[in-house]
Amino acid sequence: MTLTTTALMASAIILAAVGIIALYRATVGPTTQDRVVALNVVGTHAVLVIALLAAVFETHEIIDIAIVYGLLNFLLAIAIAKFSMDRGEVL
Amino acid sequence: MSVAGLEFALIILILVSAVITAMLRDTLASIIVFGAYSLGMAMLWVVFRAPDVGLTEAVVGAGVMTPLLLLAITKLGREDVERVFAKIRWGPLLGVSVLVVLLLLTVPALPEVGDPDSPTNTHVAPYYIENAYEETGFVNIVTAILVGYRGLDTFGEVTVVFAALVSVLAVLRREELI
Repeated sequence: MTLTTTALMASAIILAAVGIIALYRATVGPTTQDRVVALNVVGTHAVLVIALLAAVFETHEIIDIAIVYGLLNFLLAIAIAKFSMDRGEVL
Repeated sequence: MSVAGLEFALIILILVSAVITAMLRDTLASIIVFGAYSLGMAMLWVVFRAPDVGLTEAVVGAGVMTPLLLLAITKLGREDVERVFAKIRWGPLLGVSVLVVLLLLTVPALPEVGDPDSPTNTHVAPYYIENAYEETGFVNIVTAILVGYRGLDTFGEVTVVFAALVSVLAVLRREELI
């Protein structure tokens, strides 16, 4: 492993570890808004970790998953926000 | 800093979120933490160099499951709870722990991943490669294995997919497919 890939891998590990801290906020809450933002933080970290892995493994197929996750993150936040707003409509 | 370090961090993330999902009493909070579990799984699939499974996990686990579960609790109702976590019942926990330890004891007996001398690679796979085309008449060997040799298994999978479709339609309350 070269110095660059080691640095990229180290940042991926740190991002995954910070996701565990965001999980604490998602668990404790206390409001739904806190949990949704915490889930969004974990989702953004997932996008970043997958993009970093694409750079480490030098494959471009993995980038597609990162893009799909970027879109789904948005969808998740909207679905939960709609649910907590008017109770009964998700789609 | 290597792949093993990232695997370790991701497995911790997945295990913690799975346990919290099971322990939380508020269903909405549980669904949100389950979304985090799914995100961790997708990252782990990418680390294992299985991008197709990672993509499926992304779309199904995070994209479809969360709105579907939210729809389910709009139908079922969500009760207000005072306690954040459920009470741990020690008897079942002990039983499950003993079972996990017993199953983990069998792990060292498994052959190594990709071992060419393991039973999976020495008996069935060469047979399929040699005889699939003459015996089944399919032009694609993957189709021959899935639909021919493992036909009963695939039939079971189709049954599961059908049951899932019926439950989704029941949750959505749609009589006909659009």
